[in-house]
Order: sequence, then structure tokens, then C-alpha cells
Amino acid sequence: MRVLDAPRKCFLLLTVFLLLADSSHVGGQSAPNTRTALAPARAKVVNLIPASLSGETNQDSEPFLAVQTANPQIMVASAFTPNPFSGTGNAPLYVSEDGGSTWVLTAITPVQRMTCDITHAMPTGENHPRGDLHAGTLACAASITLDESETNDVSSSAVMNVQSTRTNVDQPFVRALGISNADHIYVGVNDFNQPNGHTATVDVSLDGGATYKSSSIEVRNTAGQDGPSVRPAVAADNTVYAAFFGWRKFNGTTATSDVVVVRDDAGATGPNPFQALKDPSDKLPGRLVVKGISIPWSNAPTLGQERIGSTLSIAVDPNNSSIVYVGWADHGNKGDIYTLHVRRSTDRGLTWSNRDLLHTTISNATNIALAVATNGVVGLLYQQLSSGRWVTHLVQSRDAFASVQDTILATVPANAPAQQFLPYLGDYDYLLAVGNEFRGVFCANNTPDFANFPSGVTYQRAADFATKTLTDGSGNPVAISIDPFYFSVPVLP
Amino acid sequence: MISRSFFSAGVLLALLAPVALPQATSNPSALLKQSSIVFSGTVSQLGASSFSGVPPSSQTIVVRIDSILKKPPAVSLKKGDNVTVEVKDPSSFQEGTRATFYTDGWIFGSGVAVKELGHDFLPQEPAASGTVAAEKALGQAQQQLSDQDLQARAASADFVVIGRVTDVHRWSIPKSAAARYPTSEHSADWHEAVLQIQSTLKGPKVKKNKMVVRFPLSRDVAWVKAPKFEKQQQGIFFLKKDQVSGDPKAKLGGYQVDVYTCLKPGDWLPLSDEARVRSLLKK
Repeated sequence: MRVLDAPRKCFLLLTVFLLLADSSHVGGQSAPNTRTALAPARAKVVNLIPASLSGETNQDSEPFLAVQTANPQIMVASAFTPNPFSGTGNAPLYVSEDGGSTWVLTAITPVQRMTCDITHAMPTGENHPRGDLHAGTLACAASITLDESETNDVSSSAVMNVQSTRTNVDQPFVRALGISNADHIYVGVNDFNQPNGHTATVDVSLDGGATYKSSSIEVRNTAGQDGPSVRPAVAADNTVYAAFFGWRKFNGTTATSDVVVVRDDAGATGPNPFQALKDPSDKLPGRLVVKGISIPWSNAPTLGQERIGSTLSIAVDPNNSSIVYVGWADHGNKGDIYTLHVRRSTDRGLTWSNRDLLHTTISNATNIALAVATNGVVGLLYQQLSSGRWVTHLVQSRDAFASVQDTILATVPANAPAQQFLPYLGDYDYLLAVGNEFRGVFCANNTPDFANFPSGVTYQRAADFATKTLTDGSGNPVAISIDPFYFSVPVLP
Repeated sequence: MISRSFFSAGVLLALLAPVALPQATSNPSALLKQSSIVFSGTVSQLGASSFSGVPPSSQTIVVRIDSILKKPPAVSLKKGDNVTVEVKDPSSFQEGTRATFYTDGWIFGSGVAVKELGHDFLPQEPAASGTVAAEKALGQAQQQLSDQDLQARAASADFVVIGRVTDVHRWSIPKSAAARYPTSEHSADWHEAVLQIQSTLKGPKVKKNKMVVRFPLSRDVAWVKAPKFEKQQQGIFFLKKDQVSGDPKAKLGGYQVDVYTCLKPGDWLPLSDEARVRSLLKK
């Protein structure tokens, strides 16, 4: 276990902060001339690869995180991590029972060897101390198959129970709300089985996953389909939002898209869910936050070694479901490959800020993830390609990004290691608000170099920070690769 | 129940018979294949676990490793490490018991926990010659298993051919079928390789000795391990009639032909494997 010593950490934090405060890493039209910035927060960053897998060199990309609501010490993370011991065994999950300080890998998902996409959530309505974990997984088989599955105990060695299976869908994104004896589960999917190209869909279960009902949330004409990302967000008062890319045209390399937000005020329990928001332009369900944006689509290394085409996030204030943020990436300005934007609504999605919030037009960046803490502070996680490095930021703000605190979690070389497959870092990462912490996961080059982790880092796997090399636990060198990292950062008071 | 030993009666019978204590035998070859981690060790604790993250129970014992016989490269295990083993029958073990354990991975943290698939008791004193012999025999057994895998691959293939790729082009999805091929990060990006057959090792004769092999060029996580082909590439192709791309026909030289796929790692082998493949197919 290696932890950055405090003086060195402080020095690096200060250095990075000063450098960044004077740089143009936040670009675009909404960046102010005088940036109001707060000192970076102290952070806990942990490499998830266990010591007993120190020899692994997989590209463990596309991370996700679930936190048990009643006991936040229990967490589950995932990535494109293959079963470490069997080509036919179950794909694994990372489990922590001590608030993220240590993690073990246990092979309990229903998918063989390795999942394609995987997301999950852990509501606590059913009173299982180490559950219930609800997961949506895609199997990397000849046909892409979605499993919606559950376990009541993430420390059990029992394989998760598959509750629903179907094919021809993409990018399941699971959120859930704990309801006594019957968790409510919302899985955003791009469902190619839906008629008329209305593929943006939310699978809703109101009985803990025993049954699911699929509801298309697209009503307008599409280019034959919507974009891959369909993102639900659930508030404690049963308000459920979902955001998606309504693709209106697609030529193979560019999607002309609307960013659409739908809402349901009763947990999607009614017969026609997600109809509460209508756009004033056509009176149809689904508020058009922006119209006709140009989104580059490239299933090849484009932003560094990463592909681009669909990064989207939505977050609702847990104590005030009228306040909701949505963020996405599009083509941006000339010279930018992929530019992030964040907008806000304070009236339950009826109206939205008509331009990007301050400090949220961010060039050459991806993997946007938003979350709102109980005190209203908003968090923004993203990864930016900057001067040949992938820089992972967590930005916090008390005032809708008018003033921000920017914490650099990682800054690693973008050209190494070489890509093994796509996505290189992931088509998403994730951020959650848990009490007075922002918790999340991201992926990065795993070179054990303190300079790459300005907020400090702890490795479970064998690593020699003096020589900046990984070893297999017996002293033999191990090549660098992409690893998942967990982090926790205090929420601004 | 697969437990109890197969090692002595099976794969390593001749080598270990003088030192091993035979137990009930199941299918040793299948069990060896099933086991991902095989080691010899000494039981040090009963009803315990070797690291946090593994709940101790009456089924778990801690074993100190004397020698590693098989493990995945990524797993950090060495002589002297303590491993938690979830055993099938705890009453079979006492502190100090020595055995060869056939296991599958379970939990990986600061240590390793495994689940027993079977075991083979050993004498109380370590026998170096026995361990060396076991390692040698295990290597032979793994080669046999690899051959079995190859035979199984050939048995499930519609064709096994030696050939050369004469052309590669993107598959033009028929307009009538376009709706079945939505845009996704997991899209296969189907391409077709035209294969000039030089020798057919399995399967009927093919018209004009040419076949169409459809393959995903995508480097998405879903497809990256599928073999990719380039013009002039030669090798041994294990081919199945296309049941994946969604449209199993293509045009070749003015004729409509069946399309084949070659999707799993190992479904294409270099020509250096020709003699081995031919030999195995004759068995």
C-alpha cells in the first residue's frame, strides 16, 4: 500500500492548482475572464486492482459504481475486467466493505468471462445489509444480450439472479429507488426493438426486478434510432427524469441531435410514464434542452486513443427535485474534437439555462458525470485530453458553477498504454453524492507515479513508486495498463 | 460429487502412484481442465480465512502453499502464501494435512480464496521428486487438453480448410436489411474475406474452391478477440455457417453462396500448426 505523504501531496496539489488556474483547460464561450476558484479538496484515490492480481495487464476500462444507501461502507464497482481465472467463468465485480479503502474481486455477474456494458445500483428498500444490487449487463456473445439481474448479498459467492433477458439493446444504465419490499428500478437502454425508430427507452420495474415494463421515451421522428446514451435520474420524492440524444439525422460520422429530457412525477408507476414534460415548440412529451446539435460519431481512436459519440449525464437535487442538471458533449468550436456542456433547470425541467453554465464549456473532454449532494452542491466529473495527457477532474460548485473548486484526480500520459480495444477509458465513468462525499470511479494509465495523481493515491496491487514500476508480487515487472480507480472527495460545505 | 482424487488414478497415475494416497476417482481430465488453480499445500487452519473480504465458515480452511502446479499468469501466488480454500467436506482435513488441491478462483483481494473441485492427499513430508513429477505430468496433461480443445473446435466446425485470403472488403448490408443493423458502439463493422481454399481438412468440396468468410473488423470490446483478416493472409480456418451477421448469403463470382464465420480466438491458426491439426483430425 502506497500513500502519498502529506507534505508532498500538499505541494503537488498547490502546484497543479496554480498551473491550472492560469491555464485554459476550461475553454469555450462561457469561461469567464476571471475564474472564481476555490482551493482543491483533499481526496482519497484508490486503485481497485487487488494485490493478488498484481500480474494483470488488462484494459480494465469503463468503470461504474454503486453505493449501498443504508450502509455506504458497502460498495460495488465494475469495469471491463475479465474473469481472472477462467475463460468460461462468470464476469467479476469489485466489492468494498470498508468505504472504498480495500476492494476484492468476486465473479458473480451472470455474464460469461467479461461484460460488455455494465451498470448497477444498490437501493435498500428490501433490507438486505449487503444488497440489493441490481445490475444491467450486456453479454459479449455473438448477439448482444441484456441481463437485468439481482443479488441480495454482494459478498455471497452466489451468481446474481437473472430476472429479465432480452436482445438487441444497447448501453443499459441502471438507477434505483429503495422501496420497502419492492425496489423501483429504472434502466435506460437504447432498445432497437422499439417501433418507428423510437429507441430511447426506460425499462421500469416496480417490484424489485421481478418484472420489467419497457417504455419508449421518444415520440418524435428519428434517424431510425436515438443515440446510445439513455440516462435516468431518480429523486427521493419519486420524481424520475431521463435524458437522451434524440437523433434526427445521422450520416455515419455525425449525428444531428436534440438533447431531450423527460420526467415522471410518480416513479413511472402510471400507465403512460414520462409524459409530464412537454416542449413548447411542438407540445410533445420530452423537453428539448438544445436542438440540432452536431455530435461526431467515431468508433475509432479519435480523442487520443478514445472513441467518441455519446456522453451524457443528468442529475437531480436529492432534496429539491425541481433542480436538475444535464450535461453532454458535441462537436464544439472549430479546433475542438468534443466539447462538454452543462445546463440547469430550476423548475422541474420546464425551462433551461439558454447557454452553458459558467465553467462548463470544456473542450476536448468526455465521460461527463454529474451528481448533486444533499446540500445542493453540484459535482462534475470529466476526463480531458490536455497536452498529451488524460486529466481527470472533479469540479464542485455551490452556485451552479459560477464559482468552482477543481480537484485533479489524475493526469496521466494519453499515449500509453496502447489501446487493447475500444473504449480505451470507457464510454462512461460515474459520480455519486453520498452524504458529505462525492464518490466515483474513473479509469487511467496505472503507472505508479505520484506525479500522475496530484491528490494522492493508494495502490492495492504491487507497485514500486520509487522506480515507477508495477510488479507481479514476486518482484517481476508487469507492463502498465488501464486500471479502474475509486475516489472520494469531501463535498464543499 | 467430483471430490477426492483423480490425480493419482488419472493424469498422473504412473508418476505419483508411489507417493500419493489414492482417493475416489472421477473424470481426471475434465477436472484438470475445469481447475484454474492447482497447488500442493499444508492445511494450517480449519474454519478460518486468510484475508479480510472472505467470510470464514466451517467450509473454509487455510492452506500454506508448498508448490504451484497451475495458475493464471495474472494471479499472484507463490510458495509460502496462505490460501483460503472453501472445501466440500471439511471433515476430510486436519491441521497439517498435505494435499494437492484442484480449485477454481473465488475471491481475489489481498490474498486469494478458491473453491475446491477436488483434492489428492499427499504424504506428510514434502517429496520434491513427487512435486517435480507432478509439474511435468501436468504440462503433458495440459497439452492433451489443448489437443482436445482443438479436436472439439474441429468437431463443431462445418469446414476446416487451409487457405489464403484473396480479397477483403466491407460487407454492403442490403437496404432491405438495414433496419436490422442499428448504430451502436458494439456494431461489428462486418467485412468479408474471400478465401481461396488450398486444402479441405473437413467438409465437402466447395465450388471453385472459394468461400466467403464474414468477420467483424470492429475493435469494440465485444468483437476485439474475433480473428481479423487481411489480403494474402494464409492459415487454417475453422468455419461455421454464419448464424451471427443476420444475413448468411453473399454473392461470389456471380453465384449466391453461403457465408461462413470464424469468430472465436483460435478459429484461425497459422500454417505452422498444419501438421498438428492434420494429425488430430485423423484420430
